[in-house]
Amino acid sequence: MRLLRSITEQKLSWLVRFLLGTSLLLIIGLSYSYHTINKQLLYFSEKVSHTQRVITALKETSSGLYEITFLTNSFLFLRDTTYINKSLAAIASFPEITYKLDTLVSDNAVQKRRIRMLHRNLEVFYTQSAVLLKPDVIALNPISFYASYTSLGNETTSIRKLISEMTDTETMLLQSRIQSKEIYSKQIFRYNWLILLVTVVFLSTAFVLLDRELVRNKMYRVDLENKIENLNRSNAELEQFAYVASHDMKEPLRKIRSFADRTLIKYGKDLPDDVNQMMIKIDNSSQRMQLLITDLLSFSRTVNTGTTPKSISLNIPFAEARANLSEIISESNAIIHCEPLPTVEVYPSQMVQLFQNLLANSIKYHKENQSPVIHIRYKLVSGEVIPNVQPAHRDIRFHKIEVIDNGIGFDKKFAEKIFVIFQRLHDRSKFEGTGIGLAICKRVVSNHNGYIFAESMEGKGASLHVYLPLESLLT
Amino acid sequence: MSTRQILMADDDADDRFLVQAAFEDNNIPNPVVFFEDGEQLINHLSKNDLNDNPLLILLDLNMPKRDGREVLKLLRSNKVWNAIPIIIFSTSNAPDDVNAAYQLGANCYIIKPSSYEGLKEAVLNIQKFWLNTATLPV
Repeated sequence: MRLLRSITEQKLSWLVRFLLGTSLLLIIGLSYSYHTINKQLLYFSEKVSHTQRVITALKETSSGLYEITFLTNSFLFLRDTTYINKSLAAIASFPEITYKLDTLVSDNAVQKRRIRMLHRNLEVFYTQSAVLLKPDVIALNPISFYASYTSLGNETTSIRKLISEMTDTETMLLQSRIQSKEIYSKQIFRYNWLILLVTVVFLSTAFVLLDRELVRNKMYRVDLENKIENLNRSNAELEQFAYVASHDMKEPLRKIRSFADRTLIKYGKDLPDDVNQMMIKIDNSSQRMQLLITDLLSFSRTVNTGTTPKSISLNIPFAEARANLSEIISESNAIIHCEPLPTVEVYPSQMVQLFQNLLANSIKYHKENQSPVIHIRYKLVSGEVIPNVQPAHRDIRFHKIEVIDNGIGFDKKFAEKIFVIFQRLHDRSKFEGTGIGLAICKRVVSNHNGYIFAESMEGKGASLHVYLPLESLLT
Repeated sequence: MSTRQILMADDDADDRFLVQAAFEDNNIPNPVVFFEDGEQLINHLSKNDLNDNPLLILLDLNMPKRDGREVLKLLRSNKVWNAIPIIIFSTSNAPDDVNAAYQLGANCYIIKPSSYEGLKEAVLNIQKFWLNTATLPV
């Protein structure tokens, strides 16, 4: 285990795969060999019993022949005719015995040839027996009788010889087959143990690895759960902190402003000019600080907790944003062209904020001698066209909303910087603001699992691209 | 114009000073009496007899001892004081605080302005509406 722990995760994973693969191949190979050997063993077992059957049949044939010969001789020497019938009965039942032998040795060419010879000999044997096994055999002339009797004797001898040869052959076969059977028996015994051993090793290794993996997995899960819990807690604390901090910071500022204000109102006329100016600076700075804190507060409140997403037409939040900006729109004579927007599952109030900040941004940075003209374009795009898209978002589709203006634009090297909180590209004396508008836009879009980018060339207007997933990823 | 008292309870001395200044700068003749918390306000009211009910009460929400909500509840459940107009004067802009104040019987809710100019205007508006326009209970 210590060895396993010291190698890297990647290597271990490959090692496990290799071990598993090898073990499986080994088990399959061994099982196949076992199967083959088993087949051989069965084959030889069958052959052994077959040979034993052949030997039995040969013995039956031999004893049948003895019986016939004995009965025939008994009749010939004792002249008791009862033996005739007994002998004929034995002869009649003899083909049954030889037939068994025929079928049993049909697989052996040598034995088959011998059987054929046996049958030829039996033909003569039957014929001569038929000649001799008659009650009036005594009427036969001695020469014919002798010829038949001798012939019968010869055939009997030949048949016995054949049977003995066949028995010898079968006995030899039996021995060699028994030997083969024993060899395979031993092999199969060894294979049994080998397969058992490999399986046990394989299973125990797999168990150890699996157990270790499960333990580690559980550790990771517990760890992950703890981290998520901590993260949630610290997020909640951070939100709370931002809220409390900005709320509480507003208090002393209100006082600073109020007292500076009151001093100016009450004693402004009596104060020297430079003191007056300094009091005005105090007032302006604290006013600006108030703005910053208010914006920070609204940034910290742009979160998804406590609200539920709704499927709405984006035309609604857009119209609301436009209405909220009606004053600056008419002041600046801005012209806004908006294509129909899709229905998306969103946090409606955040969308109002997004459109409001985008429009306000375009209006604020208009060219001095030109009224702002803003186009809002919409189309459906695939995730792969989005720069630096997350791999998981590559294959899904996105709503692309473009806000294009004819304003002063910006150098493209600032395309990312403009979304950072409190980042400003211009002097405050030229353009008012805290530099939080686009940071909130970015946060809103991130809250919706989307993307926002800016494109511009200095003096040639800017276009901001918002991508929102077609299928909501909000939970 | 009556010169009945206006009461104000606020634990913040600066705010008391600024409100006083705003009343002065607007030349409002009614005397304003200040208290540091709800308890002082209730004690003051208890000492007075029926004929001397204040014209208006300006009430901060978050104060030590008795906070604005408790004072509201107490005044509204009291037969003698339940008709006194109460203006909540707080820094909180949380919708929950605003709603709760009206539910408890506040007549008006003003978020403390972020500048003296704003405060002066708010006090002027109080004068215009509550002192000059509206008819208040006796």
